[in-house]
Amino acid sequence: MKKKLNLAPAFFVGPHLILFLVFVVIPTVYGIYASFTQWNLSGAPNWVGFANYHTILFDTSSTFHNQFFNGLKNTLLFVLLTVPPLIILPLMIAVALSHKKVKGKTFIQSVLYVPGLISISAAALIFTLIFNKQLGITGNVFGSTVAWATHQPYAWITIIVLTIWGGIGGNMIIYRASISGVAEELYESAELDGAGPIRKFFSITLPSINFPLIYTFVMTTAGAFNVFGQPLMMTDGGPQQSTAVLMMYIRQLAFGSGESIAGMASAMAVLLGLVILVISALQYYVMNRNTN
Amino acid sequence: MLKKKLGALITGIAVAATVLAGCGNSNAGDPKTITFWTPLTGEDGAYMDNLVKEYNATNPDIKVKHVVTADMYTKISTVLSSGKGVPDLAIIHADRVPGYVKQNQLENMSTVMQAQPELKEDNYLPQAWGAGNIDGTQYTVPLDIHSNVMYYNKDLLKKYDAESFLDDGNVTVDELLSLKGKLAEGDFAVNDALLSWVMLAQVQNLGGDIQQDGKPTVNTDIIKTAIEDVKQVNDAGLMTPFGEDGYLMFQSGNVLFSTDGTWSSTAHASVEGLNFGVTNVYSVSPDKFTNRASSHLFAMFNNEKRSDEKEQGVAAFLEFIRENSIEWAKAGQIPASKEVVESPDFKNYMQSFFTTDEKEIESLYIYTYEYYPYVAEAFDTYINDLVRGNTPIDEGLQTMQKTVEDKIAEANSGAKTDGK
Repeated sequence: MKKKLNLAPAFFVGPHLILFLVFVVIPTVYGIYASFTQWNLSGAPNWVGFANYHTILFDTSSTFHNQFFNGLKNTLLFVLLTVPPLIILPLMIAVALSHKKVKGKTFIQSVLYVPGLISISAAALIFTLIFNKQLGITGNVFGSTVAWATHQPYAWITIIVLTIWGGIGGNMIIYRASISGVAEELYESAELDGAGPIRKFFSITLPSINFPLIYTFVMTTAGAFNVFGQPLMMTDGGPQQSTAVLMMYIRQLAFGSGESIAGMASAMAVLLGLVILVISALQYYVMNRNTN
Repeated sequence: MLKKKLGALITGIAVAATVLAGCGNSNAGDPKTITFWTPLTGEDGAYMDNLVKEYNATNPDIKVKHVVTADMYTKISTVLSSGKGVPDLAIIHADRVPGYVKQNQLENMSTVMQAQPELKEDNYLPQAWGAGNIDGTQYTVPLDIHSNVMYYNKDLLKKYDAESFLDDGNVTVDELLSLKGKLAEGDFAVNDALLSWVMLAQVQNLGGDIQQDGKPTVNTDIIKTAIEDVKQVNDAGLMTPFGEDGYLMFQSGNVLFSTDGTWSSTAHASVEGLNFGVTNVYSVSPDKFTNRASSHLFAMFNNEKRSDEKEQGVAAFLEFIRENSIEWAKAGQIPASKEVVESPDFKNYMQSFFTTDEKEIESLYIYTYEYYPYVAEAFDTYINDLVRGNTPIDEGLQTMQKTVEDKIAEANSGAKTDGK
């Protein structure tokens, strides 16, 4: 019998597929192609094979090599400093909020979630003022005499505080939702067996929200690797380029002033993409293996 | 049933296609409208809107549609490479001209200049006109010069008996250094606003340049001397501390001199109780002063679809701007049109100081080196750390030189094989 052509799935998936194709697949493929070329964005790209990658990875005297590794180092530092708090703090808040005796849960949740809705540039402007020596709270209330944005480790602290402030809410909502889905009977029977709150957290809560945990961990890490707005707005990469992250270099090469160096920028972007891919895969593998 | 589904699918695709197609510039093809892109965000854009509105009110054959385009240079690259939606007219910065001309992306202004004979060199400030002239061909018509300048707090100058600094129009680093030990706590002689522009001016003051025969010269003794001299001001504790908002400190009356831009005069004027004036940026040399400037220039990107009629329209609009750009002075800029800067109206604006005589006009220096944007980027990235003593000057200059050279090499090899 001839199978009937069913177009209903295509109808539902179609629009998304088109957008995915136009805004993700085609740019990605073109970006990878551009990374093998020398290109100023307006002329025709000129194929150079692996030359860009060779320069970035092995030509130690090259500016692009130094920019890539300095940018990658700072990006990794940012990931290490922000991802753990962005997982642990929301998880702790979510667990605390799930306690029966806590009042005004929705209010607290909203207060923590709203910062995530504010654009990074607007938030960064507010935080620049908060950390401003003359006008800000740090100087006037706490008597700090440091210009935060231009001295380490303060420059990193401003960036991290802003990131955590803006990033807690999203993960917290996910944890809240998944914790509320854990069967109450599990906790009750654990209590009968004499389990305390800490034991309940590690033996019931954590294993039950295994998938949301992996998901948030992988997504938060991937997001952190793409950091751009916070250091650009708060410190502009300084002092001495110690907060210049890879995305800032990539953007400056491709869309800075002067003729664009888009091929080299694309190669850096592809390398960053590979790093994110490998780390995400590792995270997924390790966490999944541990829980099985 | 099948037909219905197919119909729905096609409708869905059509909707998506329409939405995506809506991203294009629908006005570009209109023969009765000049699409005019500018990177003028904020207040500047509003003043330009006024000028365009005034022009359209004269009922010209072809009206102008002003589109403020954030990230304009990136968008220009995109439309040039696709050939679709190229604006009829645009404003670009002086340092962009050599790059665009090298890549053969600008149309020259000969038709426009023929259509309106007053659009000629004699009617504009020389460096603004010259910024658009490459090997004898005129590619742009200037709108303005906007420059790094130095504001001073009149009350503080009086308090510290420093009014004599202004006598010869040249506030020297030595004069600034003479304030050492005399300032009350919390007061500073100068801030670090636009410090990389200040340093680019010092290069000229010492008779140097950022290029020689087309090659970048960033790591030179002259630039080193310039940095060392300005660093003395920092080391003497006379410069606002690194990382603090020196611009704000000037407005709050704690800084004698602020090295920001012509365009800041309106903001400073809105500060109650700030009694200020404007002069030339301080100099490391007693013999010469320079204000590093740039210029907004009208340019036409290559576009086969731009009709002759439209070019006539562009010419008429530029002639209107030449005669009426006093409005632009409100934005704090120095109009490039001589007719405007020589008019009595312009004397009411603070920035008219820079067109009072030939020496002042000459002090407005526009870098036109092909790779100036790379040099400026290097200055912006490193100069603060050098003047503040965070990085040794030799090491910093070496890195800057290498950065610029590497970028040029990369840009050049891309262009050569393009056949351009």
